[in-house]
Amino acid sequence: MASTEDDRQVRISKIAGRYLVFDIDDVAYIRRQHGICAVFTGTMPQNPTQNVFLGLPLELYAEDAKMLLDRKVAYIADDPLEHLTQLKSMDDATRKSYLQSIKTQRRTAQLVFNEAKAQSMAKHKDKRKPKQPQPPVVVPTELPLPASSADDVTAAVDQEEEGGAESLLESSSSKPVKTDSSTPPQKPLVKEKLPAITPTTSNAMISNGISNPDVENHTALPLYSYLNERGYFITPGLRFGGDFSVYPGDPFRYHAHYMANSYGWDEKIPMLDLVTSGRLGTAVKKSFLMGGQKPATENSEAGELRAFCIEWAGM
Amino acid sequence: MSADQHLQALTKVVVNNLENQHDWTQVQIHIQDNLPRPLIYGLPPKRLYVHPDEQIDIIKAEKQLNQRVPQEPELEWVLPLHLAEKWSISDFAAVFDAITAIPPGGEFVNANEDAQWQLWRGPKRGKRILLATVQDDSTVTYYWMHNGLVKPRQN
Repeated sequence: MASTEDDRQVRISKIAGRYLVFDIDDVAYIRRQHGICAVFTGTMPQNPTQNVFLGLPLELYAEDAKMLLDRKVAYIADDPLEHLTQLKSMDDATRKSYLQSIKTQRRTAQLVFNEAKAQSMAKHKDKRKPKQPQPPVVVPTELPLPASSADDVTAAVDQEEEGGAESLLESSSSKPVKTDSSTPPQKPLVKEKLPAITPTTSNAMISNGISNPDVENHTALPLYSYLNERGYFITPGLRFGGDFSVYPGDPFRYHAHYMANSYGWDEKIPMLDLVTSGRLGTAVKKSFLMGGQKPATENSEAGELRAFCIEWAGM
Repeated sequence: MSADQHLQALTKVVVNNLENQHDWTQVQIHIQDNLPRPLIYGLPPKRLYVHPDEQIDIIKAEKQLNQRVPQEPELEWVLPLHLAEKWSISDFAAVFDAITAIPPGGEFVNANEDAQWQLWRGPKRGKRILLATVQDDSTVTYYWMHNGLVKPRQN
């Protein structure tokens, strides 16, 4: 695994100005090797309210994308453009191989279904066995009932008295329920067919892209990479009242140490912001970190980064 | 009121507040050419800041020596500010670059000892300044500002 990770190129899909990672191995790789957690944003359209347990894709900050790009471990693909060109220029052979790959996926899905079905059948078999000796449940209503319960009998008699005419009660009467329960044994006769699937990825269609658009709007990059290089993990900080919350290690193991804001070197910061952020940081047991980088001048390259931490003094 | 007078008044408010509300002693106004304004330094009645790692070292040392490690107060820098002011990262950097870690007169307090927990005191400690922010109603709020990444205390 290590050998494959050495030359790994993370595919970052740029879609509508957002940087997304769709490959779970890439997600694990950037988290382990580069200390980037970012945010899972994927959800099911049918059940979009669960915002704690989201899945792929992973949305990166522009700073993350730029950092990975600078380390030469990622490339940025303009996904919509790449898909369009690929779809337009597809020749017959590529098309066939793509369709074939879809078919393979469907077969795999079928195998998984069969396996799951067999498992659940085996499970239920044990449960059903003791019930089989009770004949009344499966007996069709056309036959006279063996008077299993008084209520059932009267219900059946009532219906016969109505002469089989359509009755309001019919849908809720015991009749259809009992016929339903007798149908399952016929089900295995249904013709076997490959299930339809919605592909979760278009990986098979696109080649590993060469397109490498620029990353824009990474104003916090100096502070961001300064922290990342020192082993800190960074997640969005709005919940704690800052731009970033900064963890001394993987957030699975640590509480955040800082809530951080990035500023320009000469950007004027109102004192009230420092007081409120310092107070808020202390209230959530963090210290408020502010950082900025000295801009490049004629006789020096990009300058030092200065970071300051603010805490309530307790007096 | 000129800017100079404003700074003088601001410094005075903070000095009075430190001496009379917080019982600081040896409060001095410190003027230096490369500083944008006068700083204040003084001795708080009890130790104001203990780094979380120092706390651990102190506990270890106390266990080893079987006696309490004294927590004497140290001289601290104070930067008087008004709430309406706006400062940039470069302004703060200039102040930190101009000062020494320990205000004048406090350098040799613990200089001879070299136990692990002593690293957090004396000239080896990181630079820190107490921001004293003054409101128009003469409320003064105090916040620590540390130079560099300093992890938070376990409150």
